[in-house]
Amino acid sequence: MLLESLEAHQFRNLSGKISWGKGLNIIYGDNGQGKTNWLEAIYLLATTKSFRTPRLQEAIRFGEDLAVVRGQVSRSRDVQRDLQVTIQGNAKALSVNGKREAVMRYLSQLHTVAFTADELEVIRGGPEARRKFLDRGGISLHHSYVQTLSDYHRVIKQKNQLLHDVSDAEMSIAAARILIEPWNEQLVGLSAIIHRARADYVERLRQALETRLFGREEISIRYVSSLEGKGDLRDYEALIAERLQLRLQAEIASSRALIGPHRDDLEILFDGHDIRTFGSSGQQRSALILLDLAAISVYYLWHGEYPLFLMDDVDAELDRRRIGHLLEYLEGRTQTFVTTSKESLVKQFAARAIVYEVRDGEIVQRATSETDLITTIATGTSII
Amino acid sequence: MLEYSEPVVKLIDEFKRLPGIGQKTAQRLAFHILRMTNVEVERFVAAMQDVKLKIVMCSVCNNLTDVEPCRFCSSTSRDRSIICVIEEPYNLVAVEKTRSYHGLYHVLHGSLSPIRGMGPEDLRLQNLLPRLRPENNDGVEVLEVILATNPTTEGEATASYISRLLKPLGPRVTRIAMGMPVGSDLEYVDEVTMDKALTNRHEM
Repeated sequence: MLLESLEAHQFRNLSGKISWGKGLNIIYGDNGQGKTNWLEAIYLLATTKSFRTPRLQEAIRFGEDLAVVRGQVSRSRDVQRDLQVTIQGNAKALSVNGKREAVMRYLSQLHTVAFTADELEVIRGGPEARRKFLDRGGISLHHSYVQTLSDYHRVIKQKNQLLHDVSDAEMSIAAARILIEPWNEQLVGLSAIIHRARADYVERLRQALETRLFGREEISIRYVSSLEGKGDLRDYEALIAERLQLRLQAEIASSRALIGPHRDDLEILFDGHDIRTFGSSGQQRSALILLDLAAISVYYLWHGEYPLFLMDDVDAELDRRRIGHLLEYLEGRTQTFVTTSKESLVKQFAARAIVYEVRDGEIVQRATSETDLITTIATGTSII
Repeated sequence: MLEYSEPVVKLIDEFKRLPGIGQKTAQRLAFHILRMTNVEVERFVAAMQDVKLKIVMCSVCNNLTDVEPCRFCSSTSRDRSIICVIEEPYNLVAVEKTRSYHGLYHVLHGSLSPIRGMGPEDLRLQNLLPRLRPENNDGVEVLEVILATNPTTEGEATASYISRLLKPLGPRVTRIAMGMPVGSDLEYVDEVTMDKALTNRHEM
């Protein structure tokens, strides 16, 4: 898939419309000019979310009441679609070709894999970031997985409240069981779908991992169910139903849902060691890049087309050698968008990229020497 | 200082209490009322008072009604051996439109939702169990209870809770099927619905 062009109105400090190149796009500018805002706009168009804030209304320009990001996406030579995300207050409206579309169907239009400072949480942070990484992957393969996750979180929220109420009321276990079981019943089914979707996605990632991209480093991953060692994971429904029965008292005592895939994790080993505690900062970044590349490959194998790849502040995250390897790998595969404030980096990769310069939110394509010439000739002839 | 004179502000505030109505709509409605004739306003007020005075909750099924018991519960032509449990009175209209259901109803007036403070005692459930006894049902035994609560997590929990309550008492307890909307094209059905429809497929 290709993002042909992007237009932003009142989205942060952005203005104007820009056409993108099919391969590597370098967004260059000094700090604070709005480079990352353009990347965020692309990410928003694809995911309907921001990688910087959970509160989208923060992205509406100060003093305005709505922001619009619009883009033209082509899936093949003949299939082009206009996507639009409108943020108004805390609501957002999604449309495809000018018609309102439900989120589940909208999400199938454009897919991105993004490497940002926040995404490093997948490597360094708590298990929640890793679960989210896997769930983004799950959604990229099956869009209906969005609904499963949303139902699951809703049931967990309801159950937590109920456990809290039950524990406050000092109810007997038998009476509490009658109230909690209707929610547990749903947890069994939803948990099983989530468990299988994540385990399946991790298996696909494992097969796709390009272990040799940055030299001799090896990364291995494993999905760690919180029910591991408690019984036969192959019969997940029976196992979780049994655990929910067994741990009811403990759940009431702690007023929290203790059983389910919201307690699972992804184990990431680098050269056989836990990357979180033993990895150097450079290794952690490499590991995340490898995971992202694996995610791109899994997406390609499933859908037959590549997602977009976004990378914020590329030289802050990787050294030049790694950037070189990475961009070489991506060439001919993804449409790639990277931001940088380093002129030297722009010079190094200008030959195989289209370079954009951002000043005060406005973006212009920087003329390469070749297009420079064409423009001059064009103006020249028009004058004559 | 208030933006409008006090009676107008009060009316706007009252409209804003209604579901789905914000400041702008409330303002528009209030000014519409100012433009209405006295007769129109009186008719409007009378209509609102009338529903409050004349509409009561059926003591048998909790449906909203102007006769007690309601037309469904007192009907001699309805099948008294089957009860359809629904969340809200307007769900009854949806089932009734099919014209293929001839049984009785039971309206819960809500669904289980701990985060909204709705427990079993907040649902209109107390009068459901007694209905299963033939002596309370014109001598007819209730053979089946259909749980037609919404296909949301709250609706599912409610259905599950009630089924656990009823099953030991004997009647067949069923849940409405989830699946394809009729008259639509397969390609327009979302994956979750399609998935449910496949799971709930039946022999031909």
